[in-house]
Amino acid sequence: MRLRPHVLIVEDDPDTLLLFRVNLEHAGFMTSLAADGGTALRRMEAEGPDLILLDLMLPVMDGWAVLAQAGGRDVPVVVCTAKAGAEDRSRAVRLGAAAYITKPFDLHQLIDTVWSVLEERSVAESHWVRAELEVESPTAGIEPT
Amino acid sequence: MDGAHPSSVSDRIRREAKVVGLRGFSSPSLEAVERRRMQLWILTAVLLVSVSGATALLSMWGGEPLRFWFTPRVLRWGVVLLSLAFCSYAIEKELHLRKLARLLIDERVLTAALSNRLREVSALLEAGKAMNSVLELDSVLDIILGGALELLLGTSGSIMLVDAPKQLTAACVRGNERARDRAVPFGEGIAGRVALDREPLLIHGRADAEQFPGLVDRTEPVESAMCVPLVHREELLGVLNINTDAGHRFTEYDLRALSLFAEQAAGAIANARLYEAEQARVAELTELDRLKSEFVALVSHELRTPLTSILSASGTLQRPDLAETRDEVAGIIERQARRLAQMLENLLDTVRSEQPGVLPKPSPVDVAELVREAAGDFELVGSPVEVEAPATLLVRGDAYTLRRVLDNLLDNAHKYGRPPVRAVVRTDGSTAIVSVIDRGAGIPSEERELVFERFSRLERAEGRPGLGLGLPIVRGLVTACGGSVWIEDAPAGGTAVCISLALCPDEEKV
Repeated sequence: MRLRPHVLIVEDDPDTLLLFRVNLEHAGFMTSLAADGGTALRRMEAEGPDLILLDLMLPVMDGWAVLAQAGGRDVPVVVCTAKAGAEDRSRAVRLGAAAYITKPFDLHQLIDTVWSVLEERSVAESHWVRAELEVESPTAGIEPT
Repeated sequence: MDGAHPSSVSDRIRREAKVVGLRGFSSPSLEAVERRRMQLWILTAVLLVSVSGATALLSMWGGEPLRFWFTPRVLRWGVVLLSLAFCSYAIEKELHLRKLARLLIDERVLTAALSNRLREVSALLEAGKAMNSVLELDSVLDIILGGALELLLGTSGSIMLVDAPKQLTAACVRGNERARDRAVPFGEGIAGRVALDREPLLIHGRADAEQFPGLVDRTEPVESAMCVPLVHREELLGVLNINTDAGHRFTEYDLRALSLFAEQAAGAIANARLYEAEQARVAELTELDRLKSEFVALVSHELRTPLTSILSASGTLQRPDLAETRDEVAGIIERQARRLAQMLENLLDTVRSEQPGVLPKPSPVDVAELVREAAGDFELVGSPVEVEAPATLLVRGDAYTLRRVLDNLLDNAHKYGRPPVRAVVRTDGSTAIVSVIDRGAGIPSEERELVFERFSRLERAEGRPGLGLGLPIVRGLVTACGGSVWIEDAPAGGTAVCISLALCPDEEKV
């Protein structure tokens, strides 16, 4: 049993990826990173994350394909995108997205959403302690993709 | 019959009919006239036989006269004079009957001609209605050609339209497949002659090759052919050709009818072309509208990403427990703010490059030095550029504008291509050519012009940041400097974006 929920962050902008990582880890999550859709799928298979934070516009394979694959594996996905159109939102919901956040957003809003999605999955409270945990060095860099 | 008016013929017929005793008929028939002639000559013959008999009897009469003047001699002369008077009456009637018969024949001919004219007018009206009932040019041409063949009993024909300066091309063909898509310059062959002179032509049998230079010999000779110009509001739209096989010959009257028909057809063709142009314009505007909507969505998307980074970074900076990340997060804010500024600059460049006269007057610029400067700046931010350039090469342009061009090209090469990125400056004696070369996947030749259109980004650029304005801006700026820009394959694979600029004349070199 893991003490900290594992979030796979999929985002192609290195700066945004770094900021998500720093703040999510500070909020008590364990993170792994992917800068394109192909890497995201491989990490999803290999690591079995508890939640995926997913950008939609990605190189190699776009976020829609990742979302479809994640839906099949019952991994909750929080879509975090600059696509603000209602069509994209409803398409994401149809594909099984647990939440849809449009950029720009507040970090607190993002972290709250991630927590609430995990809590809705009912396993959250029993397994994880929503508390300040030890944070890894935020400057550790992004894993190569 | 020429010049005969139907109403005057009818009046004369009524008059003549009255004279010859055909009063019961408002319009006597030729058969009635013939019957009356027969009656007249039978009567005359009976009378002459009777008179001859009477005269013979009187000659044999030898008795005394009833009165002193009532002698056989007087009686004989009386009978002769009476018969002469009747004969003169019969001849006069015969003359009137003949005249009446001629008039009736004239009337029949006129009626037939009128009914023909009526048929043609009605066919013209029907064709006009049909021509105006559709607006697609191909359908209009088909209806015109079909209507003309039906109206004039033609067996084959074609419509040739002016589709290039001084050139006709067959746009609709029936019965002579060899004529399909044939192009004829003005002045060549029958159609070219008609297009040049704008005068209709009627030709019987084989056309004279000397009279019509460039004439294409037909495999199947025609009995006669007509060719009329299609003119609408003084503008020649094309020509209409109609041919007929052996057994039917066109007349001057047919040529007049076809000319009338062509006037109406030209109007319908002009309307169809106007409609097609309008449709194309609507499609163009719709596409532009779609592209602009996409562009707005793209701009909003591209602005949201750096804004998210800036907001997240400033939120991170405000947390004392993350103080150790301060420098890195501050760097993120600066990078993302610069990204936003770059986007704004690109948007402004787009507007600037569309406004003539905004750019300064061209002056001598050392393009080789400019390329080295730009490459040096890219090197500083970790995007190396290999430069191959002469020591100096002066072109006519604006230094700031050309630097914007180079920055855009080098940025694109790093963003969408693969390293190494090279900048090559060379000259062919009259122009300087600057090529920015990458080792990426290259751009297919059919998409090379597309990338210069505003708001267009190739499929594979999706997922990478950018507004799709880089190359349109480059083209606008280079054009403003009097140069040109194009894309070609790089010798070792990848893309080479080339710009050519006029070399600075010696007298301008200070």
